[in-house]
Amino acid sequence: MTAQSVLDTEELAEPPFPAALVNDLMRSFAKAVRAHQLYLPNNPIHSRAMEAVRTAFAPVWGETDSITIQVTEADLRWAGRVVLEEEGRTSDSIPWLFFKDGIRELGFRRGFEDDELIILLMLMQRARLASSDDDDLLTLLWEHDFASLQYKYVDLAIESGAPLDSIRGEEMEKIVAPGDVETEAQLVASTSITKMDEYDSTLYFLDEKEIDYLREEVRRDFGTDLRTQVVASLLDTYEQESDPTVREEIASILDGFFLLMLSLMQFRAAAYLIREASVTAGRARDLLVGQRQRLTQLSARLSDKDALEQLLHALEETPLRPPQTDLHELFGQLNPQALETVLSWIGRTRNSELRALLEAAGSKLAAAHTAELVRLISSDDDVVAFEAIRRAGAMRSSAAVFALSGTISSVRAELRLAGVAALSDIGSPGALQVLERALQDEDIDIRIAAVKVLGSRNHRAGVKGVEAHMRTRLLRDSTLAEKMAFFESYGLLSGDEGVPFLADILNSRGILGRREDGEYRACAAMALGKIGSDTAMRALQKALADSDVVVRNAVSRAVRG
Amino acid sequence: MGDPVGVELRGPSRDPAGAAYLRRRGRDFVVALYSALRAIKLYPVEHTAVQKTLDEVSQIGKEILERERELDLRISGEFLFLNATRLRLDLTNYASFGYWLRLCKSSGIGSVKVHAGASPRDWLVFLSMLDEQTLEEPANRRDELSDRLARTSISDIELSPPVDDDDSEFSEEAKKAATRTYNQSVAVTKEVINSVRMGRTPSIKKIKRVVQGIVDQILNEETSLIGLTAIRDYDEYTFTHSVNVCIFAVALGRRLGLTKIQLFDLGLSALMHDIGKSRVPLGFLHKSEQLSEAEWLRIAAHPWLGVLTLFQLRSQQEEVSYRAMTVAYEHHMRTDLSGYPKPIRARSISMTSRIVAVVDGYDAATTRRVYQTTPYAPSAVLQEMRDNPKRGLDQIVVKAFINLLGIYPVGTLVVLDTFELAIVCAANPRTDVLSRPIVKIVSDAQGNMLHPAPEADLAQADSFGDYPRTIIKTADPGRYGINVGDYFV
Repeated sequence: MTAQSVLDTEELAEPPFPAALVNDLMRSFAKAVRAHQLYLPNNPIHSRAMEAVRTAFAPVWGETDSITIQVTEADLRWAGRVVLEEEGRTSDSIPWLFFKDGIRELGFRRGFEDDELIILLMLMQRARLASSDDDDLLTLLWEHDFASLQYKYVDLAIESGAPLDSIRGEEMEKIVAPGDVETEAQLVASTSITKMDEYDSTLYFLDEKEIDYLREEVRRDFGTDLRTQVVASLLDTYEQESDPTVREEIASILDGFFLLMLSLMQFRAAAYLIREASVTAGRARDLLVGQRQRLTQLSARLSDKDALEQLLHALEETPLRPPQTDLHELFGQLNPQALETVLSWIGRTRNSELRALLEAAGSKLAAAHTAELVRLISSDDDVVAFEAIRRAGAMRSSAAVFALSGTISSVRAELRLAGVAALSDIGSPGALQVLERALQDEDIDIRIAAVKVLGSRNHRAGVKGVEAHMRTRLLRDSTLAEKMAFFESYGLLSGDEGVPFLADILNSRGILGRREDGEYRACAAMALGKIGSDTAMRALQKALADSDVVVRNAVSRAVRG
Repeated sequence: MGDPVGVELRGPSRDPAGAAYLRRRGRDFVVALYSALRAIKLYPVEHTAVQKTLDEVSQIGKEILERERELDLRISGEFLFLNATRLRLDLTNYASFGYWLRLCKSSGIGSVKVHAGASPRDWLVFLSMLDEQTLEEPANRRDELSDRLARTSISDIELSPPVDDDDSEFSEEAKKAATRTYNQSVAVTKEVINSVRMGRTPSIKKIKRVVQGIVDQILNEETSLIGLTAIRDYDEYTFTHSVNVCIFAVALGRRLGLTKIQLFDLGLSALMHDIGKSRVPLGFLHKSEQLSEAEWLRIAAHPWLGVLTLFQLRSQQEEVSYRAMTVAYEHHMRTDLSGYPKPIRARSISMTSRIVAVVDGYDAATTRRVYQTTPYAPSAVLQEMRDNPKRGLDQIVVKAFINLLGIYPVGTLVVLDTFELAIVCAANPRTDVLSRPIVKIVSDAQGNMLHPAPEADLAQADSFGDYPRTIIKTADPGRYGINVGDYFV
């Protein structure tokens, strides 16, 4: 407290109760304001500060039901006494925060601390951070109907309007002629000009149905997003007004409005704007080339990599995702070139929620622009290529087979594997034919994936390729998993024609009387079991008593089917 | 704090904490009383409908008493108070409120105090007695009712006479506040429109503050502000018209049950509905002769010019008011889309625009302008709006508007059957007597002007149940040299 304020206080009348109570309260209030600025509500320091201010209200309510605090530039006063002093004209000063927006008095009532304290702190924080264009504290307070907080203010924005005179037209000094009214009244009475039936009050009662109608209309009106209506108004005007100045103004508004809608994630309205601007471009009369281009370029502008990345960044950062249907609507308006950016983001985002949104939106976009999807399969960006391959598979796009055949020769194993999966999903004869090339891939997983697909799809044309690999040293030296995959598929594809080759592996001896490796022979037994024909069974019977327990077990299982 | 003049008070001025509860349950209580009165009238007392409504009255009463420790349903002027909280009219309760007011006034009851022991049976007896037809003077009637309650051992329902509290002071204060709000609103609207005309960007904050003030005023005491719409300043037509439309729209919106924030949105839209005219040459707007087609087209462009102008008004960070734009665009469109501008894309006129269309049409037709030297009588305008479907107005909104203004709206000069001239200063709060407003008698039967003009409630019957004064027609104030606005400033 300054020396001056001490002096002031000494000259003041005795307060109704000790000022110390209000001093303590305001100190706690100031601490609560700071705590609310610095900590989240779940922080213990925040909770303690709120508790402290609530506790500080209690002794005050023991004395009165309400207290009134005056606001000056640098302090808060109660009963003329300074109860909180904070110098400096910054938003960090509580008195200044109120004072600068015109608030001159605050009245707290019992119960304020229950629910409304936290709302006030929230609004003060908003006002503290507000820019000059934002709503000021007075408006924020107005919007919240406080039950236990009252405030007085001087309106800095509005000067008192000059009082209005009544009609200032010609001065009329007539005095009512005594007979005039009577004559007129008698005339009215005699000719019954006034139909009293017209004024039957019941004509104006609203019945239940009418009340329901009004309620429903109000509910609908205030629940509607009016942005699309505004866009429709602008575009209707654009179509009807051929004045280039007007059209230029509307086009500029639409440009800005479009960006605003994107920044606020109003995707449905943004999609509507793109769609309807294009309709206007096709329908408006006397349209200049430049005007038409400007209307149709909205989609291209958004589809541009940099612009779209802005949107996706925003989506990644926001905790509030827009509805998927809205995003779909917007993505439905994008140009093919946008697909590359979307696919790139699907592969890169760490936000699983966004990824799910983009997956769905990306699929729609890809389905609408297959040629672009096919082009992206060969993208230099592996992430894009990978997502394009996945999507081509998911879409079972036959048009993508040629491009996918290129991925089979990619240096990146992940891409080759994705290509195999995509070709497998497509499953057309062409796709399966391309898959045969993967049987010789250097990567074991790719070879296994490819041969399994060929087997499961019963791609008989591929049997030669499978057999060729089975004859190589590579398979003999490979893992059991690969051996099993190849033999199983071979069994499925070759039929009886494969029995001699398999029987040879199972039962024959080499030049030095050596048999094949036991694991390899066991796989051949399994394949014979898959064939299941008499010839196959006969070949298996011969090995029932094989000395190699692995072979014997495999044969036994194959015979049992 | 320095000079208190010009300091506005906001927040729950006359309501204590918990006012929201009292407003809500108070409303329920009055509606329950009304339902019980109707049930008693329609059915025998043992009927379940009667018992159910009485139980409800009794139960709500007990709940309020338990929470508030007091239940005093009081009439003050045309308002109903529960304890210290004023109950607000809306679409769902205006008939109940009006009925209760009428019953209490005709029975000389100022307040009904209820104690904890009031049972459904007590309510049955009291309400049955209250609704009996009688020719008794109100004061005698109350005494009689109190006696009969005592004779039937009902002590938990206590009747008191009306108290002349500080209402007149309150009313004077309300009038001053309303005048201040009105003047400020016109000044700001003028500044905004002139700024736009001169190519400057006006302050959105000022506009918002004006609408907030109007909403506050309408929520607290609408009569004074609606009264000021009768001023019809000729020179300031453009600005007073916008403010009047805002006042009427907010008052109507309140009747339709809009929330405070919705009222703000509606008020802002109404205030800005003609902002597009700021881009139309003044010469066209003020031309008294027939307009050429080109001139008319420029004027008819003001709805879409309004949309463009509102886009200019928005600040960088703030979203524009799309409702205001929609209203600016649609307010001449008519519900059947036969007005202007003609929409190309499918559109259904928003409720906000329908409200503004009704109040805009009313205020424009009842005001003297360059090209309309004789304004239409308010009652004639309402009748035309109601009866002429070609106007393209929402008929139910028109009905609700007439409910708000009464059949003889504020500012109407009327001739009474006593040969007195009177100006309507408020609609009668009793919706069953819309043709009997509150008036100021401006001249006596001999044609002598009365200063100050005394007020009279035309619904006030004498001891025989007859009305001493009845309107027989409306009249043109100009004919009698009367400035209507003089009686409202």
